[in-house]
Amino acid sequence: MKKLLEISLGIVTSVGGFLEVGSMATAAQAGATFGFQLIWAVVLGTICIIFLVEMAGRFAAMSHHTISDGIRERFGFNVFLWPFLAALLVNFMVLSAEIGGVAIALEFATGIGFQWWALPAALLAWLLLWKGTFGFIEKGVSILGLVTLCFVVGAVMLKPDWKAVATAAVPSLPAHDGANYWFMAVSILGASISPYLFMFYSSGAIEDHWDESYLGTNRAIAGMGMTFGGTISIGVLIVAALVLATHGIDQVNDYHQLPLMLIPIFGFWGFILFVASLAIACFGAALEVGLQQAYLVAQGFGWAWGEDRKPRDDPGFSAVYTLSLLLAAVPITLGIDPLKLTIFSMALTAASLPLTVVPFLFLLNDERYVGEHRNGFISNAAVIFIIALGFVLALVTIPLQILGGT
Amino acid sequence: MKLLRDILDKQVLDRNHVKIGKVDGLVAELRPGKPPMIVSIELGSITLARRLGQRPGHLMAGLAAKLGGKRHARPHRIAWGKVRDIGIDIELDIDVRETSIFAWQDWLRDHVIGRIPGA
Repeated sequence: MKKLLEISLGIVTSVGGFLEVGSMATAAQAGATFGFQLIWAVVLGTICIIFLVEMAGRFAAMSHHTISDGIRERFGFNVFLWPFLAALLVNFMVLSAEIGGVAIALEFATGIGFQWWALPAALLAWLLLWKGTFGFIEKGVSILGLVTLCFVVGAVMLKPDWKAVATAAVPSLPAHDGANYWFMAVSILGASISPYLFMFYSSGAIEDHWDESYLGTNRAIAGMGMTFGGTISIGVLIVAALVLATHGIDQVNDYHQLPLMLIPIFGFWGFILFVASLAIACFGAALEVGLQQAYLVAQGFGWAWGEDRKPRDDPGFSAVYTLSLLLAAVPITLGIDPLKLTIFSMALTAASLPLTVVPFLFLLNDERYVGEHRNGFISNAAVIFIIALGFVLALVTIPLQILGGT
Repeated sequence: MKLLRDILDKQVLDRNHVKIGKVDGLVAELRPGKPPMIVSIELGSITLARRLGQRPGHLMAGLAAKLGGKRHARPHRIAWGKVRDIGIDIELDIDVRETSIFAWQDWLRDHVIGRIPGA
């Protein structure tokens, strides 16, 4: 019974972690411009993140190390520095984009420009990290995050052609705007396969004292939680494809076009649901990414860390999330377009994947860490596939950014 | 036991199980005719910077001395004899409060973090 509760809680949590500004924005853009055609990218990204999250959890449960600890210990400081710096930079941009998402939602709700909301949003996130415990943040974010299910309900109520939806789960070549199509595919993959997600998950497993007995729980959470998250993304994509396109929006290049999505389905409540979903999903992700920055630095250098401690007991750790949130609010306060920042940081995330994922191949096959629970053939094949995908994405992202970016 | 593999870059705890850093470096004594012997472990940013190269090492040592005074101009060194247990982490028989390893964290607590309400 306790395990069942833990599994369901874990699933809800991972839904909260999965759906953030990146997956919402990229899915909405893809739906508006290419209809259902890019659903395959969401499916592929979801499968990849399931594998990585499962491995991150298994690694933590078996070795009592977080992924960052593992990389530093196994490869040494000089190698660790590269994924460390890449993750720090990517997380910073993603954090900024999430704060931008919250700020945009608050602009919709109040009519006051988004720039003014970045600092208050960052401050509120900081306050929760400062005073809250890990469990409180984890559970609070996840339960509120369930509001995003409205996209799935909306998608079903629109009665899409399910056969067309299923067909789109298989990759196909675009009929128009080739560069834009591939750039969106890259952004969707970047939004789904977020390094902060699996790194955060491994830190969470340590915070929650996982051991070998959690391997089954871990598998269930990774599989079902990420599938749920992916389903919501697909919901966003379907709604965007059916609503935005019929209202003459075939290019989403401004967040202000988005609240329209749910209005034809739910009326005025659609507006409220959209704003609430955007605000909660982005705020939850901002908490997790802010915390992950502190985990990353503290684990990399061996400082005391833990969200359940008082800030005065781990001053280094709390200083990192304080600074991260503050700095990430700056670009939005200066008026950088949150949508452009989101799409750009998702593409950058995709390009950074080889650096963060290659270590998995070694760590998850090393008996000294995972004992007899080493990767099997399928898991290793999945990691190699993700690394290869990451390399291709890294190579094509920059030219596509110029040709097809927003 | 392979030193570089099993010791270097591991988490270090003090005797009260406080995380005090990683094994950033190892100091070995070369003995003629005998294998080298590890005499101490090193912690801190200067050691880390030295691993990246001579120049970063010099720069970091200069910076640390400037910010923290003479006592921070050299890496923190702890005798090998203080190692009490090598497992997932490395446990040392020292109390971090009696060393200067956490001087910067203490400064941060006293001057910044501790002054914010609710800390």
